[in-house]
Amino acid sequence: MKRNTAAKVAVASAGAMLLAACGQGGPGADSGAISDDSIVLAVLNDQSGVYKDLSGPNSVKAVEMAIADFKEEHGDDAVTDNIEVVSADHQNEPDVANTKAQELYDRENADVILDVPTSSAALAVANQAKTKKKLFLNVGAATTELTGAQCNKYTFHWAYDTYMLANGTGTAVTEGGGKNWQIIYPDYAFGQDMEKSFTAAVEGAGGSVDGSIATPFPNDNFATFLTKAAAKDPDVIGTMQAGGDLINLVKQFNEGGYADRGISLAVGLMFITDIHSLGVEQFAGTQFTEAWYWNMDDEARAWADRFLEETGTRPSFAHAANYSAALQYLEAVQRAETDESDAVVEELEGLQAEDVFLRNGEVRAEDHRVIHDAYLAKVKSPDEVEEDWDYEEIVATIPAADAFRPVEESGCEM
Amino acid sequence: MNEVLQYTIQGLAAGSFYALSALGLAIIFGVLGVVNFAHGACYMLGAVVAAVLLDTVGLGFWPALLVVPLIMFAFGVLIERTLVRWLLALDPLYNFLLTFGLTLLLVDLVKRRYGVSGLPYERPDVLRGQIELGALRLPTYQVFVFVFSLLVCVLVWMLMTRTRIGMIVRASTERSDLAQALGINVGRWVTPVFGFGIALAGLAGVLAAPFRAITADMGSNFIIILFAVVVIGGLGSILGAVVAGFLVGLVEAFGQAYAPTFAQILIFVLMAVVVLVRPAGLFGREETAR
Amino acid sequence: MPEAPMLEIRGLDAFYGEAQALRGVDLTVAEGEVVTLVGRNGAGKTTLLRSVMGLHRQVTGELLFEGRDIVRTPAHKRARAGLGWVQDDRGVYASLTVEENLLLPPVVSDRAWALDKVYEAFPVLADRRRAGGTTLSGGEQQMLAIARVLRTGARMLLLDEPTEGLAPVIVRQIGDIIRQVKESGGTVLLIEQNVKFAATVADRHYLLAQGSVVESLDNAEFSARQAELLQHLGM
Repeated sequence: MKRNTAAKVAVASAGAMLLAACGQGGPGADSGAISDDSIVLAVLNDQSGVYKDLSGPNSVKAVEMAIADFKEEHGDDAVTDNIEVVSADHQNEPDVANTKAQELYDRENADVILDVPTSSAALAVANQAKTKKKLFLNVGAATTELTGAQCNKYTFHWAYDTYMLANGTGTAVTEGGGKNWQIIYPDYAFGQDMEKSFTAAVEGAGGSVDGSIATPFPNDNFATFLTKAAAKDPDVIGTMQAGGDLINLVKQFNEGGYADRGISLAVGLMFITDIHSLGVEQFAGTQFTEAWYWNMDDEARAWADRFLEETGTRPSFAHAANYSAALQYLEAVQRAETDESDAVVEELEGLQAEDVFLRNGEVRAEDHRVIHDAYLAKVKSPDEVEEDWDYEEIVATIPAADAFRPVEESGCEM
Repeated sequence: MNEVLQYTIQGLAAGSFYALSALGLAIIFGVLGVVNFAHGACYMLGAVVAAVLLDTVGLGFWPALLVVPLIMFAFGVLIERTLVRWLLALDPLYNFLLTFGLTLLLVDLVKRRYGVSGLPYERPDVLRGQIELGALRLPTYQVFVFVFSLLVCVLVWMLMTRTRIGMIVRASTERSDLAQALGINVGRWVTPVFGFGIALAGLAGVLAAPFRAITADMGSNFIIILFAVVVIGGLGSILGAVVAGFLVGLVEAFGQAYAPTFAQILIFVLMAVVVLVRPAGLFGREETAR
Repeated sequence: MPEAPMLEIRGLDAFYGEAQALRGVDLTVAEGEVVTLVGRNGAGKTTLLRSVMGLHRQVTGELLFEGRDIVRTPAHKRARAGLGWVQDDRGVYASLTVEENLLLPPVVSDRAWALDKVYEAFPVLADRRRAGGTTLSGGEQQMLAIARVLRTGARMLLLDEPTEGLAPVIVRQIGDIIRQVKESGGTVLLIEQNVKFAATVADRHYLLAQGSVVESLDNAEFSARQAELLQHLGM
């Protein structure tokens, strides 16, 4: 009920702001190279709900770290000294995201919006970016639509997507011998998208998906769904659940003793925060696709140590990707010597970059998919864990060129 | 056949959480006339406290089954003494709103302190694995949850039917003012009964901890189903709460198995049918449904 | 020889919100007396009885039980002080067995009837001791409700229309019980619409109308004016 009211207010205020914006004469009216003499980076994400831990306030910290590094690197040569971060909570609701994005672009003078988990919310913000001709570097959302049919000139997709997850995990697990799959997925856009992507990846690798079960969302009881899937004697049960639902499902999978019957569990999307909250033991041996892992090499680790000092916790890949997106954006502004959107887009398109997060990174000009090395990870067993948050082992690196959807399949026309 | 038995035990295990919590809800409603909206949050707190005690002082699952309900009892007493008590004389809506607000507060406090991703919890080794009966394999933990919960329900039922305390609680539940006129100090029982009801929700939370995601939001959906359980069983009916709890668990499990899209709706269809046919619920008396 | 009254009410007003239900009621009941409250529906009889028991709290005035002002005393303490309550709908608990119904209220004086004595006096209750309270017939439930307060040893019984809707044979039995209580020194204040019945059990009668006591009659006067009273009561 509260949400409905919020939605109505959102629609009303959105309308009002649209009118206000029309009267202002549009962007680009400023004379200086840097609009309003300052660069404003806006982090729009879930500050209170299910994705708070894996992005949330710590994504803001990551962006602040990027700004600090940028300033330190360029010193007096920096295009401006005046760089600030603002943040807003979109509550994972597309209508809230839409309103907040307008506010950030218009009222807070944001030059770029970062993060935005939840696919429907991200697509709403992408649409605003297109309308306002301001940048949107998405980190937190999974949908391939951002770089597919709904792509646009001002939207970039930085960290991961459903194709990458399915391609990595689906292919690797199938090639490792898990030929017959049952998929359990939450019945909303993300889950349906994941189910399709995984089916394609599994079949592409020579396996088959014999059945898919759509489940309510959110849901805390998966025991029956698991029994039903296991009754078909699959090699693999693939779960596309996320967050709390995933943890419920994994607990109940372990409870059901399916592993003893030779059924393995493949997880579509998992964040290190999920492993932390469930405990390594319950996840031990599970393979999944990672965009980045804090302890994967010295460079990542050094940055993760700084992050730990700032926040008291280890970063998820989303935190590192927000850092990377903010840093690359600022570098692009530095090179363009202006924060004018079209000039920055031009700098970013085709950019090849290396940073804490991006390995063999490239910003594809055609669809704005940021490609980079991805990783097949495995959850450690409890006796392999050497320190807090030391949960993952990188099994294989999936080269950037193979990790993401080929550009010709994207269907993106800008 | 094997699957049907699996669904049955899964339904009964899920139903155990409902039955225990609904029992607490029913007792509180009976004696205080308070619809405790915070019951879902208390279920969540039971699980969170169990996880935190395991993490901080290494309190295992078995002692937690006793210690956590005691802590929750104390918490219930605190809430009753400091908040609920002052609104008892007013329209019951005030306490409904109070406990609703309390829910939001508790959920946000847990989020603030422990984040949103949840807390880890391991069940004891003896409860792992499967019980094998010929071709039949039943998860040990689910069987345990069902048997243990049933035992607790039977104990509570005996407490209610075989003891003087139970007699007083039943009388206060049925007609509080009459019990007063017969010399029963109903007010004296209000605080312990509230604490006891909260403790039952906390116990359900401990039982859920190894089996469910322990997050601040775990009670949010739960409380909605719990209200359906209490309505189906009959508001204030102790036997009704237990029977309806297990029944709803079974409906949920078989619904998920044979009509997954309608699994949750089925529960509310059942509730609507019960309300139409027997407005006071399966075990409710007309006078308690006023 | 005037004894100190067991119950003395002086200037009692009772309200339901803004509406006044009792206006300056004065009433006394001596120990060992049986007194009835007579009046039309809505005259305030039940409000008066509930005010004495403490079930109706919105009252002002004096309410002395055995010389102690109990107007602010909660109902359960009044019960423990010796007031025995029989509700107009009998107030038998459905969720308690017959025996549990009997055992529920605490014993308050040494005049309490032992369970055996109760069963001897009410054999039907002994036969149905394990049955649910409301499985009894209306008359049996009334027996149970009265037996329940006798078992506590209450010194003064408050009965709200104990004969209402019951068969003549049961009404006679209830009359016997009330007389038996009186013989053993008990005190009774009862509401009674059945004027004939009232005349057979009571010593005195208060006639209530519109929330006030309009007349106080002893039983001789009451019996003599039966026809007039019946008309007044609209019967």
